[in-house]
Amino acid sequence: MGELLASLGTGFGVALQPANLLWGFIGVTLGTFVGVLPGVGPALTVAMLLPLTVKLDPTGALIMFAGIYYGAMFGGSTTTILLNTPGESASIATALEGNRMAKAGRAGPALATSAVGSFVAGTIATLLLTLLAPLVVEAALKFGPAEYFALMVFAFTTVSAVLGASTVRGLAALFVGLFLGLIGIDSQTGQTRFAFGVPELLDGVDVVVLAVGLFAVGETLYVAAYSSRMPETLEKLKGSMWMSRDDWRRSAPAWLRATFIGFPFGSIPAGGAEIPTFLSYALEKKLAKHPEEFGNGAIEGVAGPEAANNAAATGTLVPLLTLGIPTSATAAILLSAFQNYGIQPGPLLFQTQGALVWGLIASLYVGNVILLVLNLPLIGIWVRVLAIPRPLLYGGILLFATLGAYSLHQSWVDLATLYVFGLLGFAMRRWDIPVAPAIIGLILGPLAETQFRRALAISEGDASVFFTQPISATLLALAVAAVLGPWLWRRFRSARA
Amino acid sequence: MRRSTPEIALSLGVLVLGVGVSIGTLLLPGEGGYARIGPNFMPAVVGGGLVVVGAWLLYEALAGGWRQRDDDLPAARGEHPFHAPAFLWVSMGLFAHMALIGTAGFVIAGGVLFACVARGFGSQRPTRDVALGFALALGAFLFFVKFLNVSLPGGWLALVFGAAGI
Repeated sequence: MGELLASLGTGFGVALQPANLLWGFIGVTLGTFVGVLPGVGPALTVAMLLPLTVKLDPTGALIMFAGIYYGAMFGGSTTTILLNTPGESASIATALEGNRMAKAGRAGPALATSAVGSFVAGTIATLLLTLLAPLVVEAALKFGPAEYFALMVFAFTTVSAVLGASTVRGLAALFVGLFLGLIGIDSQTGQTRFAFGVPELLDGVDVVVLAVGLFAVGETLYVAAYSSRMPETLEKLKGSMWMSRDDWRRSAPAWLRATFIGFPFGSIPAGGAEIPTFLSYALEKKLAKHPEEFGNGAIEGVAGPEAANNAAATGTLVPLLTLGIPTSATAAILLSAFQNYGIQPGPLLFQTQGALVWGLIASLYVGNVILLVLNLPLIGIWVRVLAIPRPLLYGGILLFATLGAYSLHQSWVDLATLYVFGLLGFAMRRWDIPVAPAIIGLILGPLAETQFRRALAISEGDASVFFTQPISATLLALAVAAVLGPWLWRRFRSARA
Repeated sequence: MRRSTPEIALSLGVLVLGVGVSIGTLLLPGEGGYARIGPNFMPAVVGGGLVVVGAWLLYEALAGGWRQRDDDLPAARGEHPFHAPAFLWVSMGLFAHMALIGTAGFVIAGGVLFACVARGFGSQRPTRDVALGFALALGAFLFFVKFLNVSLPGGWLALVFGAAGI
């Protein structure tokens, strides 16, 4: 415990340095500004703002990213409540009640419960992260390549098969991502794979280009084609901005319950904040004294899912920081931000770069406070961002989306790749194929391949290592169960019926 | 029974990609030395996986359509039918941007992109859009070049920037 406090103390020493505090402030502000833009979720916000940090030192950049992440999540909630266009699937539950509240002239309390709830859930979840991370690190230090490989396979299957509507479409996205991860020079042997003689492809496909292509270009094409001619209603901010005593009484328990639903979902490699937000929504509806209010703007229905979303997002930092395994699209982009600095998150990072990791964790506490003091007073500005006409908004989004891709090699080839990913994103959105498995497959595929080869090099080619070591065998069994389980369960049920 | 051509096409796309990756794998060397795992192992797994998943998708598409899909009708999704001009304007903007950025430079290419996308979203004020696009692209250009030291092509405006001491 003393050691933990000392580490955290070092972390706060880093996070509270004026320069880092400034990066935190800039990150939260920029993140909120971009996150408020309709159709721009946290993952895209982080991806689009990545080029801004090229000249920063790693600690400052990562602290700025933590701010961007939190800011983007809050910005997204604002848009969801006032415009009813959830920027990501984890915001759908918020849209159910939040937009109804706004329509009924209670936008202020809806935004307030979302902001305070995010603060409460974010802070408790960060505390849980602080306590849990050293324990996971201790266990992970004993992991060899076989365990890491099994863990990654497990993460692949949970991210693609368990979440989402269809196992097979999730797996399709995953394998496309894994294929993209093969492109370029093989890190082990120097062999070029699937680059087709294009020099820009030798470095491999950049995660940011894939994310920006799928989310920004794909989304713009989709909205242009299918909803640019739909009327849009922006709810006005009127009435009291603050929550009444009754609102507090109803929100507080929902925040707490949702935090403990969201955090575990984020922290086991079964990430994604979508399921916990819906679980929290269902739970609040069940426990509510006035369930009939649900569907007409019940404040618990905003408080719960918002807190769950934030807690899950913080939870995804546990596997990301301690194991180097991203379990959400945003976490995958954060991992690529680490890699840009030549930093590989994992248990060793806590030993070699303690100040950086603990500085980042401390800055999460600070970021939550900044978010709370910055966002409610500035809400008027964020609402004005929402009023930007769509033609100009999407023009701006694509202008900045292309900038990031072009600055990689100063080559139009990256822009062509971006457009191809845009078409892919359009098709995936239109025909209900999840995007996150593709992004996670791209960044985690090469790491899994490396661990697989290392494990076999150690065992001198004996593939039984994956099944004879208990941790690895258990994880692989769970992975198989995740893919086949739902199918077997349906068979079993239909056989009995 | 609902049978959707795009679903069949996408399933075939995954299947064909899988076959392509598998063929590409055969062209890779298998020599991996110590671990006996060469650079062709992972591609073989991925190629095989894509083939299996593509076949599975195709089976679903032919046998009653992909499972657990939302309603395909635009009205049920809160959308209007496919608006081809909008899609094409956005695409054209991106192509023009690709073609122009190396020669005309970042600012001009960005302005054109911005105006095309705005047109695709139904804007009827091209002059304003071009002006706004240029202003925004110029702002971004100055910020990245001067403040972040990221080099972006000045293109046809390089001389003007040079004269202005940028």
